[in-house]
Amino acid sequence: MVHHHESSEEAEKDPQEPSKRPKFSINDDVDILREILKRLDGPSLGVASCVCRLWCSLTRNDDSLWEHLCFRHVSSPPPPSVRPVVVALGGYKRLYMVCVRPVLSRLGDSDRVRKRVWTRHAVQLSLSLFCIDSYERRLSGDASASSLMFLCNPINV
Amino acid sequence: MKRDYPDNSKIGGGVKAECSSMSSGKMKMWEEELDGSGAMDELLAALGYKVRSSDMADVAQKLEKLEMVMATSQEEGISHLASDTVHYDPTDLHGWVQSMLTELDGSPNCLDPSALLANQQIGDNILPSAGSSVVSTGNFSNSQQQIGNLSTVYHDDSEYDLRAIPGKAVFPQSKTTDSENSPKRLKASPSTESVPSPATVPEQARPVVLVDSQENGVRLVHALMACAEAVQQNNLKLAEALVEHVGRLAASQAGAMRKVASCFAQALAHRIYGISQPSIDSALSDMLYMHFYESCPYLKFAHFTANQAILEAFATADRVHVIDFGLKQGMQWPALMQALALRPGGPPTFRLTGIGPPQPDNTDALQQVGWKLAQLAKTIGVQFEFRGFVCNSLVDLEPSLIEIRPGEAVAVNSVFELHELLARPGAIDKVLNTIKAVNPKIVTVVEQEANHNEALFLDRFTEALHYYSTMFDSLEGSSSSSGLSPAARQDVLMSELYLRRQICNVVACKGLERVERHETLSQWRGRMGSAGFEPVHLGSNAFKQASMLLAVFAGGDGYRVEENKGCLLLGWHTRPLIATSAWKFPAGEL
Repeated sequence: MVHHHESSEEAEKDPQEPSKRPKFSINDDVDILREILKRLDGPSLGVASCVCRLWCSLTRNDDSLWEHLCFRHVSSPPPPSVRPVVVALGGYKRLYMVCVRPVLSRLGDSDRVRKRVWTRHAVQLSLSLFCIDSYERRLSGDASASSLMFLCNPINV
Repeated sequence: MKRDYPDNSKIGGGVKAECSSMSSGKMKMWEEELDGSGAMDELLAALGYKVRSSDMADVAQKLEKLEMVMATSQEEGISHLASDTVHYDPTDLHGWVQSMLTELDGSPNCLDPSALLANQQIGDNILPSAGSSVVSTGNFSNSQQQIGNLSTVYHDDSEYDLRAIPGKAVFPQSKTTDSENSPKRLKASPSTESVPSPATVPEQARPVVLVDSQENGVRLVHALMACAEAVQQNNLKLAEALVEHVGRLAASQAGAMRKVASCFAQALAHRIYGISQPSIDSALSDMLYMHFYESCPYLKFAHFTANQAILEAFATADRVHVIDFGLKQGMQWPALMQALALRPGGPPTFRLTGIGPPQPDNTDALQQVGWKLAQLAKTIGVQFEFRGFVCNSLVDLEPSLIEIRPGEAVAVNSVFELHELLARPGAIDKVLNTIKAVNPKIVTVVEQEANHNEALFLDRFTEALHYYSTMFDSLEGSSSSSGLSPAARQDVLMSELYLRRQICNVVACKGLERVERHETLSQWRGRMGSAGFEPVHLGSNAFKQASMLLAVFAGGDGYRVEENKGCLLLGWHTRPLIATSAWKFPAGEL
């Protein structure tokens, strides 16, 4: 993917050789780009955000990318009422960073729960923790919520 | 303090001491008659030994030296001291020690284990920090019988005091498994202790290792127990000596053991000296509570399981009203509001009545919390209403004050609030009646799983020691396994302070002041049952959520969730520490 981008970028920088220029650049069609990025996992999305400004702004601002990431492993899709709540509490990217990613990795490591598919309990737990996180930020005036520190501090993309 | 002096006229009767002070301030506590025969040290006089205050430093030095000499001469034996009845009056401590020293500096004779036992006991007795208070110090030859008997009773105290002499710490004893040394190690279970005649040497011989922190740990526990027993018997001087001893032993420990021991030693000291625990304002106590919330999963477990029970009870209600007996920072309610918001069929209207203590600076802390919760509710689309009640105690809450609207489902939630009511007779019944009067659909109760409300001080102390040791262990376990950020370390420290205050209350406070009157789940079951409440089983959802919460909790390997007749308990390894239960009042359901 990166390779593809490089080649198209390279070609764009070289307008003097129109014959070499491909007919299609991924950056021309943001929707396709979005569809591709939607299917990435967390670390890859992080890497993708470092590629160029367009990709960076997409990953930062387009929360739907992260929504797909959050609920990818859930057996049944979450009800539509979830989205406004999550958005109000801080967005899917934050949900992923603060709750989903640590919970998933911790559950994956722990001996007790080895499922790859998320049960609704895990979803509920993540959402509850996310809500508590949002409330704590309000209480302490947007300082970093410490009640979720037990999940280990995530890196911020 | 009574002393038995069998038939030895040499040993003076009576405890006479001047109440002039030594360097330690505790002398003020005890005022006794002036003795015209010179300034005697009070503490030792209380133990029955007359020592001039001016000689004290000298005596202490000589005692140390004596200690060293006696220890080294263990294998060679100092039996001649036992058989030689012509000894100086041991109450004349100075002279006695001097005589012992001069004799021991010579060549010691052959070994006699029972004599060693006798000597050992005597050695114990002369030390200022000795625990045994009822020991014969008279005639050595015919006192062996008594000492033999006494060894069965006081095996707990004596040897620790020896070990505690600071000089010894630098002076390692050689490891020996000789049976001669076994009289010194009379600590083991009483069943092995039957020494009716001093002539029989106890067979088991334990190696004598001086600086062994595991042994010190066991000694520490024994010393704590001995001190508590002394407090119960109102033997305050003994207790004081033991408390200092505990402090010294605690310093040799590491980690959770040291913290627990120092907490309990401090609490015991408060009790002995009659110092009351300084009360802290509710802002500070809320802050400690928050740190405790963050550093370990107990409160989160409590909130999650209670919320699940409330959620299930409110499954079909359009209007819900929760009465929280201890609102504090309202940390329990965001998760419930979020779950209600995502409930199929949409959220109900949510009313919250929060109860809290009065603030010292008259700020309305409850309203501030209510406001923050309202903001959160608005963002997630839940209709929210808040009402705060300020009262000193839940007893002051009248059912008529709480506005119950028709058609709303009511839940009453109490996390660590009910046990305080047990301090006042009749309070708990009044509050339970208030609960019944609001006609709740569900009552969730979370309490510590321990019996810290026994009538006897010693029982309370023992229970509390076990409980808080486990608590501190769990804090230690969760803090050591992850690399801690400074904020997390602060959380752990504040949590320890939070627990320390509870310990101090259980151990040092009496009467109405002692509010940490924890009772076990079975006791609460009995209480709720006799008040007419019926248990509601916390379902498998609550169990799964709780298990998942713990699986996710860093450093949570030791935590265990158990289910017990529909109630959930969270514990550390095998010891349950908090219990969540849910109740309903069937008479209200019509």
